[in-house]
Amino acid sequence: MRNLNAYLFATSPRDAVRLLHTTAGRGCYLAGATDLMLERRADLDFVVDLRRAGLDDVVVQDDGALRIGACVTLNRLESDPLVREFAGGAVADAAAACGNRPVRSTATLGGNICSALPSADMVPVLLALDAVAHAFDGESTHDIPLDEFFTGPRRTVLDGRLLTGLTLPAPQPGLVCLSRKLRRTAEDISLVQAAVAVARGGNGLGYVGIALGAVAPTPMRALAAEDILLRADPEEFEIAVAAAAESAADASDPIDDHRASAEYRRAMVEVLTRRLLREALGIDPTAEDPVHGGLR
Amino acid sequence: MKLTLSLNGHSTELVAAPGARLLDVLRDAGCTSVKRGCETGDCGACCVLLDGEPVNSCVVPAAFAADAIVTTLEGLNDDPLMRRLQDCFLEAGAVQCGYCTPGLLLVAWQRLREGGELTEYDVRHAMSGNLCRCTGYAKPVRAVLDAWEAMP
Ligand SMILES: Cc1cc2nc3c(=O)[nH]c(=O)nc-3n(C[C@H](O)[C@H](O)[C@H](O)COP(=O)(O)OP(=O)(O)OC[C@H]3O[C@@H](n4cnc5c(N)ncnc54)[C@H](O)[C@@H]3O)c2cc1C
Ligand code: FES
Ligand code: FES
Repeated sequence: MRNLNAYLFATSPRDAVRLLHTTAGRGCYLAGATDLMLERRADLDFVVDLRRAGLDDVVVQDDGALRIGACVTLNRLESDPLVREFAGGAVADAAAACGNRPVRSTATLGGNICSALPSADMVPVLLALDAVAHAFDGESTHDIPLDEFFTGPRRTVLDGRLLTGLTLPAPQPGLVCLSRKLRRTAEDISLVQAAVAVARGGNGLGYVGIALGAVAPTPMRALAAEDILLRADPEEFEIAVAAAAESAADASDPIDDHRASAEYRRAMVEVLTRRLLREALGIDPTAEDPVHGGLR
Repeated sequence: MKLTLSLNGHSTELVAAPGARLLDVLRDAGCTSVKRGCETGDCGACCVLLDGEPVNSCVVPAAFAADAIVTTLEGLNDDPLMRRLQDCFLEAGAVQCGYCTPGLLLVAWQRLREGGELTEYDVRHAMSGNLCRCTGYAKPVRAVLDAWEAMP
């Protein structure tokens, strides 16, 4: 941001894509700027401000799906009645737990996703709820499952396209979505994030979403763990939950750094996933663990 | 770039580099209640109101002020609610070195104006982006609750 030659305002999504691609030099989109201002990138010649591009709608569609524009702020997500009512308020709660009040005034959902940090706090809940991202190339819009959106730390499939928003499919009846994150202090980035969404259906579970953050190069879904639960008989939920939590830990690929060891992070994936699943399924969290024994 | 904005109730034109921070532009314009603290969005010393919402001006581009309404503590000098809040801060002993105080006052003022119920939790949630090294928070929180209880 330091050496910018131009600060451009986009008036529509099409205008934004056009400005990014026809302006000389190196540029990028800018939404709430809370990440960009801190990155202090010296290589940027211009930015394209998206805040006037009309990407700030929150709509519940006829089929019950929730559509959120990329420039909707985290503060709006925290307080918007449509978001509060969706999936038990899981998305609103995740937003409320990001940063601080002044930062949430400007920080956007799209920016949180497009920064593509492994520890982006909004992402696990969205993954667990099976979110679909909408990428606009100036002509047409492509729907990309959020699960396929991230290609590495700070890397996405966008490649110059604009994220216009996300759609969260209508939750199945009775869906419970819970998330939790571990961090050293309130201001620090997350060490481990987990989110689960489950709904009963048929003879067992009709929907299972399990997502993890900060424990792999990108946020991820624990698909094998989801599968264990989808195939589980209600009589065996407790054992299936323990197995799913173990599977999620196996699937994670955390790093060692000054915040925590990989071993600790992996152990916490298992603990958080199990606790969230037990809570979501109404299994007594203080009951003895059926596999390992003891209170875990 | 040239920015036209309403600054503390006055229509104002400011000139800023395209990559400038709102923090620096406001201080250069004489609004020194806007403090330079962490410069990473964490401490709230640089808090101002942008179109009525609290923002940390060190992580806000100056360009966000274009056609916007910007309010710093200077702009609320004669506001009755701000006066009451300041009195409550004084009475509670909620000011020590004072560096965090403008930010705390703005965030609290905005939260009081938002209305609705106000519990101690709400005050702490609203102030979670304002770091204070001196007071330990108990007195500022008390002061905001006092001001709320005194509201008509
Ligand atoms: C004090 C502080 C605390 C924070 N705490 C947290 C926290 O607890 N949890 C957390 O997850 N994050 C946190 N953050 C990081 C940041 O606030 C969030 O990631 C925020 O949601 C980013 O959104 P933004 O609109 O500000 O992004 P910007 O900075 O505007 O953009 C970020 C990136 O995304 C790109 N981009 C933005 N919008 C689009 C779009 N529509 N299409 C394509 N590309 C786009 C930009 O080009 C840029 O590369 C914090 C930041 C600060 C300063
Ligand atoms: S100086 Fe801006 S938040 Fe600390
Ligand atoms: S009174 Fe000194 S930092 Fe708050």
